[in-house]
Amino acid sequence: METTSTVNKMSRRIRIGLIAALGLAVAGCAQDAPQDTFDPAGENAQKIQDLQVPIFILAGVVGLIVLSVLTFVLIRFRDRGQAIPEQSHGNPMLEIVLTIIPALILIGISIPTVGTILALSETDDTECIINVTGQQWWWEVDYPVQDGCGGISDVIITSGQMVIPTGTEVLVRGTSRDVIHSWWIPRLNGKKDMVPGRVHNVRLQADEPGIYAGQCTEFCGLSHANMRMEVIAMDPDDFETWKAGQMAEYVAPEEGTLAAEGEATFIAQCSRCHQVNGLEDDDGNPIIARPDLQVYSGATPNLSWLMTRNTFAGASWDLLTPECRADVWDASPETVGEKYLEGVSPECLNSVDFREWLRNAPAKKPMYTDPTELEETGGLPRGMPDLGLGEDQIDQLVAYLLERQ
Amino acid sequence: MFTTGSKFLIGSAVFAIIATIAYGISQDGVMGTIGLASAAAALSFLAGVNIFTHDSNVSGSDASAIDSCAAAEPAPANSIWPLAFALGAVVLAVGLITYQAVFIIGIVLLLAAGAEWTTQAWAEQASAEAAHNSEVRSRIANPLEFPLAAAIGVGLIVYAFSRVMLWLSKTNTVIALGVLGAIIVSVAFLLAYRPGLRSRTAVGVIGVGVLALVVGGAAAGLDGERDVHEQETTVDLAHEGICESPEEFEADHNASQSVAATAAVAATITLDDSGELNYELNGPRPEGATALTLQRSSPSNVLFSNKSGEERRLSLNLGPATAGSGADEEDAPHQVCTTLVEFDGEQNLTLIIGLPSIAAEDGYHFFVPGVESAELELIVP
Repeated sequence: METTSTVNKMSRRIRIGLIAALGLAVAGCAQDAPQDTFDPAGENAQKIQDLQVPIFILAGVVGLIVLSVLTFVLIRFRDRGQAIPEQSHGNPMLEIVLTIIPALILIGISIPTVGTILALSETDDTECIINVTGQQWWWEVDYPVQDGCGGISDVIITSGQMVIPTGTEVLVRGTSRDVIHSWWIPRLNGKKDMVPGRVHNVRLQADEPGIYAGQCTEFCGLSHANMRMEVIAMDPDDFETWKAGQMAEYVAPEEGTLAAEGEATFIAQCSRCHQVNGLEDDDGNPIIARPDLQVYSGATPNLSWLMTRNTFAGASWDLLTPECRADVWDASPETVGEKYLEGVSPECLNSVDFREWLRNAPAKKPMYTDPTELEETGGLPRGMPDLGLGEDQIDQLVAYLLERQ
Repeated sequence: MFTTGSKFLIGSAVFAIIATIAYGISQDGVMGTIGLASAAAALSFLAGVNIFTHDSNVSGSDASAIDSCAAAEPAPANSIWPLAFALGAVVLAVGLITYQAVFIIGIVLLLAAGAEWTTQAWAEQASAEAAHNSEVRSRIANPLEFPLAAAIGVGLIVYAFSRVMLWLSKTNTVIALGVLGAIIVSVAFLLAYRPGLRSRTAVGVIGVGVLALVVGGAAAGLDGERDVHEQETTVDLAHEGICESPEEFEADHNASQSVAATAAVAATITLDDSGELNYELNGPRPEGATALTLQRSSPSNVLFSNKSGEERRLSLNLGPATAGSGADEEDAPHQVCTTLVEFDGEQNLTLIIGLPSIAAEDGYHFFVPGVESAELELIVP
């Protein structure tokens, strides 16, 4: 009876182990994996793919050999009560051989690895330069004036989403305002740490239009998991349209509309931190936001063209409803640029999340905004505090911001 | 009647009485006479007590007494600690009139020698057996001695190593570390390949290595560090309007920590011999761009390279004061600049600009005092 019970227990454990292994294996077969590093979408990511696949195979073979030998030794020489075998200090020849073989394998791996690293650090052939700046917990993206990127005559500044032209070697120059962050779009290239006071380069190139997701990969505090970003690759023609929209003049809401009331509310409640280019006070002077006086990082997202983006709050939430988002994300390469350029219509606005954010931002995304716990930062919060807005004010702001496209 | 001990005390008492009389007659000092008289009285008292109790009475013919008396016990081994204690006292005294470091060494030596001496003296009273006493001492002192000695040894090695590294030039440091690594690997290989190697040989090899390092460190320390180019800060000087001056001024010479910031800088701005300011980026410069773009509120390091043939500084008008500068708004500098940079020299300038360019009436511009043509626009989005 006892023997039968023991066998049943072992059998049950083996079954559970097999199911767990199967679960792990199946987890690697996900179809909807926007951050799949094994699914390159540009030549830089392809270089990494060409390096990592053979190395993974080689490492797998080595691991299999080692585990097989280890398993054999453990079973073959297990304790059966036999005499202790002869004890020796070691076998110098065997040890030397077992040192030289891994050394040769590592040398074999290092040659293509170094070659790939050098190739990925090449910058001379890049045609379009874009700056990214990380801070807790969002990414700012700006396009300096240049002839590259098809020509940019005025600085473009946005956040959360970076728009690039397809087939173009883009050089991303990154830094950070507060702590170390890491910028990673797995389908376009490897990750790169962004360090305050230093500038690091990473090149991007997308073969075809699409939306490529990523997220901060260096733990950077409370809302690290909510620090996401996306790269929108579009045809050069669509990219020109997008640029023109970003460099357009500010158009004030029509007087007497809810949006006009929203503009006043925005000036009263939001413009201390958030810049909207072209916004003026009653005397016709430009309204300059002072995030340097309001938040620890000294920066907040520029909201001039908020509704040309699809995300908000560090790309943590979509500005589009799930249906409209799917319409963009699932679009074919031929139409994704066009879909993206449609921006956020009133019908497609994800008003639930957006209004929740306006109602009480820290309740939606943890951001160290409690004024009683800000001794280390000189009283400055690390994100958007609760402004205590009323529902009327939220209605006005939504109407105003919907026109920011 | 007179025991061995009493003879000694009687003799001492007689000597003290004679000294009292001699001192009292020849000297005017009352205190000395009183002291010597007191000593004579005390010794006489002790001699009387000794005679009365027959203490220390060892007869030369009493064999058993010879074997059992205290004098028959083996004397404790010679101790270095009294000597070290005396040396500590001397070093301390010398330190009082020379250098503070010598004084501190004297105190440490004095305390350490005193502690060791006390411990040893205590242990020697544990029993009549020297081996047992030694074991008792080790049991008490070793848990403290070993870690302390190890810490001092490691500290000495690290300090010597740091002196050597600071003495070597950058290139020679690379070579030295390469050679050192090769030596360590070779010795390790030798020890691993020849397990039969006598441990004394291995210890000897390592000992020679450590000794060479310590001697090298001492020599390097005496010779001094290599020249380290110091980066001077100017933030406190901006208030003085110095950023618009082509003249020399005093600056903080203890700011060499900013050397690390000269890698992966946001831009390198060069003043060429024609008096023009140009900039280069880490990576290619945006094609067609004439202005430099830096992010708002972000710590940006700009390296100024002077190729003009004269000492020059790079200055930047910051416009309105900002909290991002790290100072109170009222006190924040409106300008930042490098110190005067020698020909072919470089200096780092860290900028945190809290406001966008549109907030400044004429935007932001880098300039070089004394060189009118040297101007570069800075765009802060």
